[in-house]
Amino acid sequence: MARVLLFGAGATGARIARQLRSSGVVDVLEVRDPNLDRLDRLVADLGDGAVAGRGRRITDEPAAVVIASPPGTQVGLARRAVHEGIAVITTSNQTSEVRRLLALDEEARYQRVPVVVGAGFMPGLTCLLARHGAREFDEIDEIHVAKVGTGGPACARQHHRALSSTGIDWRDGTWMRRSGGSGRELAWFPDPVGGRDCYRAALPDALLLVQEFEGVQRVTARQAATRRDRLTAPLPMLRPPHAEGGIGAIRVELRGRVGVERQVAVYGAIDRPAVAAGAVAAAATMHVLADDISPGARGLAGHTDTVGLLSTLAGRGVKPVRFEGISTFV
Amino acid sequence: MGGGLITLIRRAFVAIGAGIAVAAAIRVRGHGGIPPQTGGWRELRGDDLR
Repeated sequence: MARVLLFGAGATGARIARQLRSSGVVDVLEVRDPNLDRLDRLVADLGDGAVAGRGRRITDEPAAVVIASPPGTQVGLARRAVHEGIAVITTSNQTSEVRRLLALDEEARYQRVPVVVGAGFMPGLTCLLARHGAREFDEIDEIHVAKVGTGGPACARQHHRALSSTGIDWRDGTWMRRSGGSGRELAWFPDPVGGRDCYRAALPDALLLVQEFEGVQRVTARQAATRRDRLTAPLPMLRPPHAEGGIGAIRVELRGRVGVERQVAVYGAIDRPAVAAGAVAAAATMHVLADDISPGARGLAGHTDTVGLLSTLAGRGVKPVRFEGISTFV
Repeated sequence: MGGGLITLIRRAFVAIGAGIAVAAAIRVRGHGGIPPQTGGWRELRGDDLR
């Protein structure tokens, strides 16, 4: 049994807290959040074993620090935890922040602690499915990921900003800067979401995937958007985001070589993004506590025991799917 | 001079009208591509998780 410190009691943070409390591997969960009403409500809901903390200092030597605070606020906390030799699980989906989190790799290896970068729905489950699917290939040439939907308000704001910001693609061994909102592709997600137009955006997935797949030629990430999303993307959000978005989905397409044949594999998942992100972060935390994740700062694509993590996720209600039949990235 | 301008405007309206008519016909009569006709999503289990 272990003590875990969780930063963030929003839509994703609350799901992580509930998942960890029900996991049976965490005996004390300390939750911190600047919104004290929300924090007290969550701690009261969680019952015994959950305590409310204050501030951003890491105290009482937790076994792991889970960071589910809004994107842009995670790297400082992660750096402090690594400095103190404590394992970190982050949920950021902001490109610049993911880059800075990956830069903690050297210190994390020196301290011999894992820093899981982007343990959410996308990035997170997408990285895990890419690594899992890659097992059946001799060589991976292309990885294309896409998502629909948002979690809580912080996720919705990040989604809105991403569509008007510069995205990054990996193409033929080079990083390419791409305008957000460009590159429309119709991507098919698991039912009932179905086909959605997806566009480039400032998404960090390529940063997490390229370093884990040696020789990969193309890595792209897109997010679904409506005409209204694209029209209003450069403007501030015209109305406050919902407390939580509706049903979301992710899609991971792998292209590569098996023997002498070129093959395509498509994986996906459907869930409310905050629920799935909470389950992924909680599952990653459980594996960190079990010493299953090696030291260093990387995404879940760098975790080799994908079966173990996917089985833990299945036990938490997140069941990915695979498309069988024709490829549908048209 | 005045007659030439009127002709230009008339032609512009005819061109815009023709464009609208073609766009409307495509919108109403078009099929919008063919969704996948085969295959489906299957939950990962058994051999997928070994």
